[in-house]
Amino acid sequence: MTKPKTSCGIAQKKRVGCKFLRPASFLFSVLAAASVIFPFFRIEFDEYSADVSGISAILSSIRTQTNALIGFPFGIRVTVLLSVLFIVTGMVLLLIKHYTLSSVAFFLGFVSAVVQTAFSSSLREAFIGQGVERFSSWMGYGWTLFLFFSLIASACALFLSGIENTAENIFKLTAFISVGAVGLITVYMFVSGIPAIAKIGFFDFVFGTRWAPVGTEVSFGILNMILASIFGCIGAIMIGVPIGLLTAVFLAEIAPKRLASIIRPAVELLAGIPSVIYGFWGMKVLVPSIREFSTKIGYNSTGSGLAAVIIILSIMILPTIIRVAETALRSVPESYTEAALALGNTKISTIFSVQIPAARSGILAGIILGVGRAIGETMAVIMVAGNIVQFPSLFSSVRPMTAGIAFEMGYAEAGLHRQALFAIGLILFIFIMFVNLSFSYLSGKGVRADARQKK
Amino acid sequence: MRGRKNKDLFLGILIWFSAIVTVIVLVGIIGYILINGMPHVNLRFLTSEYSASKNGSKGILPMIINTVYVVILTLLLAVPICIGGAIYLTQYARQGKTVKLIRFATEVLSGIPSVIYGLFGYAVFVVMFQLRLSILSGSLTMMICILPIIIRTTEEALLAVPDAYREGGLALGAGKLRVTLGIVLPCALPGIRTGIVLAIGRIVGETAALLFTVGVSGNFLPKGENIFTALFGHLFEQGNTLALHLYNSAMNGKDPPSVPFATAATLLILVFILNRFAALASGQKKKATK
Repeated sequence: MTKPKTSCGIAQKKRVGCKFLRPASFLFSVLAAASVIFPFFRIEFDEYSADVSGISAILSSIRTQTNALIGFPFGIRVTVLLSVLFIVTGMVLLLIKHYTLSSVAFFLGFVSAVVQTAFSSSLREAFIGQGVERFSSWMGYGWTLFLFFSLIASACALFLSGIENTAENIFKLTAFISVGAVGLITVYMFVSGIPAIAKIGFFDFVFGTRWAPVGTEVSFGILNMILASIFGCIGAIMIGVPIGLLTAVFLAEIAPKRLASIIRPAVELLAGIPSVIYGFWGMKVLVPSIREFSTKIGYNSTGSGLAAVIIILSIMILPTIIRVAETALRSVPESYTEAALALGNTKISTIFSVQIPAARSGILAGIILGVGRAIGETMAVIMVAGNIVQFPSLFSSVRPMTAGIAFEMGYAEAGLHRQALFAIGLILFIFIMFVNLSFSYLSGKGVRADARQKK
Repeated sequence: MRGRKNKDLFLGILIWFSAIVTVIVLVGIIGYILINGMPHVNLRFLTSEYSASKNGSKGILPMIINTVYVVILTLLLAVPICIGGAIYLTQYARQGKTVKLIRFATEVLSGIPSVIYGLFGYAVFVVMFQLRLSILSGSLTMMICILPIIIRTTEEALLAVPDAYREGGLALGAGKLRVTLGIVLPCALPGIRTGIVLAIGRIVGETAALLFTVGVSGNFLPKGENIFTALFGHLFEQGNTLALHLYNSAMNGKDPPSVPFATAATLLILVFILNRFAALASGQKKKATK
């Protein structure tokens, strides 16, 4: 495609803007770079307060009253240095007329300045570790100026490349945010989960059977939680899949149209009910009835436990399985069905010997999606599981991984206990990613689109 | 022949049985919550404050306000990103590795369980960025949660706009941006609205992701020296949402048993209304594209 060069109004506008946008962009980037000499951080400790400019945050250290020399944390030094470097790079790019790139550079400078706030906790730790009692820090006005100027410089440089390019770049940036989010979550789960696993030892952690996070003799073994998650999931699949699949068959093949048009929205509704409500219902209805049932058959239980978890989860995965299986069944070519019927099969035997086998990859994808939901479900499970860490059995209290995390995050002290919870999160995350990847691998395109459409 | 007939009959009964079980479960859950909860839902319950003390007022006004805060803030953060992303995917990007990567990422995001979002939000927004347990941290976490929902629906809505509209706009001399924002986007609005309503439903019902990011002890109304500090200061305070309140009051047992029931009923009705809106909006979309 060739672009109109001058005759079009937009192109002319761009030229006029060019006249002062370029110097403006340059000016603001210089201002941003200059604001490094103004205070980036304001710190107060004991009787002493200081403004620390960006430059001195990189280069110098602070002497406390006990005469200890405290340097700024590595993270802060790197991010301040990076933000300056990005601004300078942007200026160079501006000079050689790579406007989009220079705008990106200014923006990265802005981002690394924002990231500096994330290190204020490490700044605090550095000082507290040196016997300073009272410590507080704020971001200084130089930092605010830097943010402001770098953003404006970025915007100016972006507009230099023309309004159409600007828009495209902005849209592109927003599209990549979800990629960035996935990357960040992955990195974070590993960064915050690995330390605990390293300290406890992988085998002691995953195959240890004793979970005692507080007390004198701590022990972090999560085997029972993993087993509880897996058993709960398998049980839910064993109950939920047959019922869900047959309901899907009912909706796709058997039900009269009007009945199907009532049940289908009802299933959607089932998918929309928040998980706390399932949990609450389980707590009030399921747990007491299981308690009664188990005492009748001779067990003595409170009712909350693996059985309740399995039933709640199998209800919760129903809508997922029904939706995916129905879509898969509907996408079986009509000629298959007709051929089977013409060969003398009855309607029912056609469904079971032709349609379900033909739709099996879609159905399998639905089951995998259900596994993902069942493993990751937290609130409903925590409300009916009973939350005692022990080897899972049907009528006794269990604690699946998700419940373990949510239950203890509230009171876990910073330190190994909290890190261990993040490590459970990491194990769960790896499991979920595995499930997800196999889902993407297995599912046909049409099925995938429909399954994920409403969640 | 006889055996086959029996088998057919048996399987047929099994299918009907499954469908009936599904319906009974649904009706059972909804009926139980509404029958036990609705008698306690009244104007006083909805519009009075909450106090944790035994005989204090047990209204849910603060939770409703907190829920509204989280919903609005999350949407403000997420909707521009989602629409921009969907526009890029459908209008600008060439099909290829980049688009595949972005699609894959959105799909992965929609499969991550909310407790993982909660941990992530806690590590990044609460601890690292020092936002503490606050409505702001919760909204930032929820923003990532709902990205896939709105991106997907928006994408579908944008794809459903006939190419002829686009070509017509381009032929009249409008630039690509003008065509996208002025013609394609307005046509796709009903679909986008569906996505937003679905996202609101998700935010309203979300618990695990908010448990460690907004905290559970924010049971008070926004307050401050003037309206400005009250409105914006509240963003930095803990805020118990309706779903969190239900979890809390059901689990700790300090409130009279009517409180969680009434909260559950309110929440359920809210979700129904949102569901209805989503269905209405997507019905409009179908009409529009026909």
